[in-house]
Amino acid sequence: MRVGRYGILLAVLLVSLLLLTVQTRGGGTGRAGELVTIAVTPVQSLLVRIHRGALNLWANYVDWKSVRRDNATLHEENEHLRVQAMQAGETREENARLRRLLVLRDRLPLATVAGEVIGREAGGWVRSLTVNRGRGDGIAQQTPVIVPDGLVGRVVQVHRAAAVIQLLNDPASTVGAVVQRTRTAGLVEGDAGGTVRFKFMARDGASVAPGDLVVTSGLGTLFPKGLPVGRVIKIEDKGSALFHFAILAPAVDFSRVEEVLLVTGQTTQDVATLFPSEG
Amino acid sequence: MLRLLVLLVIVGGGVLQSTVVAVAGVGGITPDIPLILTVLIALRHGPESGCLAGFVAGLLQDATGGGLVGVQALTKGLAGFGMGLLVGRFWVSNPLVQVPGLVLLSIAEGLGRFLLLQMFHYPATFGDLMLHVILPQALYNGLIGTLCILAEASFELVGRRTWR
Repeated sequence: MRVGRYGILLAVLLVSLLLLTVQTRGGGTGRAGELVTIAVTPVQSLLVRIHRGALNLWANYVDWKSVRRDNATLHEENEHLRVQAMQAGETREENARLRRLLVLRDRLPLATVAGEVIGREAGGWVRSLTVNRGRGDGIAQQTPVIVPDGLVGRVVQVHRAAAVIQLLNDPASTVGAVVQRTRTAGLVEGDAGGTVRFKFMARDGASVAPGDLVVTSGLGTLFPKGLPVGRVIKIEDKGSALFHFAILAPAVDFSRVEEVLLVTGQTTQDVATLFPSEG
Repeated sequence: MLRLLVLLVIVGGGVLQSTVVAVAGVGGITPDIPLILTVLIALRHGPESGCLAGFVAGLLQDATGGGLVGVQALTKGLAGFGMGLLVGRFWVSNPLVQVPGLVLLSIAEGLGRFLLLQMFHYPATFGDLMLHVILPQALYNGLIGTLCILAEASFELVGRRTWR
């Protein structure tokens, strides 16, 4: 039996609305969403590796062209050395990143799981990272995610071998925070433009100033106290408004995050001193 | 065979979107490759294929991106169907119509997505989204669409010369 074009449209509408209804009633994305992720995760990992490999290949090619005019012996030697140096440089950078992650991991009075970023969603509607750690590694919904510079976000979807992390600058992200110097409490929110804002009561925040570090408040049990969130770069004073906003420069450059720590344990200790405080 | 190929293209586009394309953003904006592929498929194979391709592409993006699963499946399915319906009614085979059409469709898809998300209390304001996400992404899509059309025309030209 041939299904008409409007039959297909109707089926697509019904399935989409059914999926949305199931989620809004607290049913999660269910097995269908999980199956899609299970199928896609290995391909994502593979593509990321191919992409990184292609970038390395391109860099090697450009270098090779620049020394081509040299004589053959020097050229060969030079090429080998450059390739080796590039590989060594890449490895050194990766080592440095992993070493910083390891130092933080050892210092933290918390259980953590290290993960590698295998996917990114940066279109603006949703800002997220996908990592290669999931339910099988003990990761749960709302798990805080950090790097040596500070807080990255929280886990919002967990699959068997992957997890989706909502970044701090996602429009739907909110995190309880305080200004470290003045202890002014407020909320850190993302917005559609990709900036991160700190919203605080006007009467409490008179002395908040550019350069102040904002850290997680530790109120509630989700985020440990003292994780660096960002530095104040501008105060938006709305006159007599109840709330003021401070624009933050996030502590973490989300576009450069390649490895993360997923915080699986809890602590009441202030962890601010375990993070670098330059700036 | 053709349907399998279309499915592979769409799944491949979805995976590309979350890996390679995500790091190729300009000012935080990335092109919507699955939407561009949906439009190209709808232009060549009509509303049924466009609708199914859009649905699969959107579902994949929803599942891997961390948003509400079903939102993009619905809007991209509608976009594919709508673009497929236009084939034969307007000059959609003309590149001068295809590129602005892709930009307008991207904006329409963004508006549809925003309206749908409003029902689920999406926190961003319309002005912010339009300024920072929908319009820049639509223009980026138009640019990528132009490159696709130019590439296709070049292949056709090379093909004709080879056959002569």
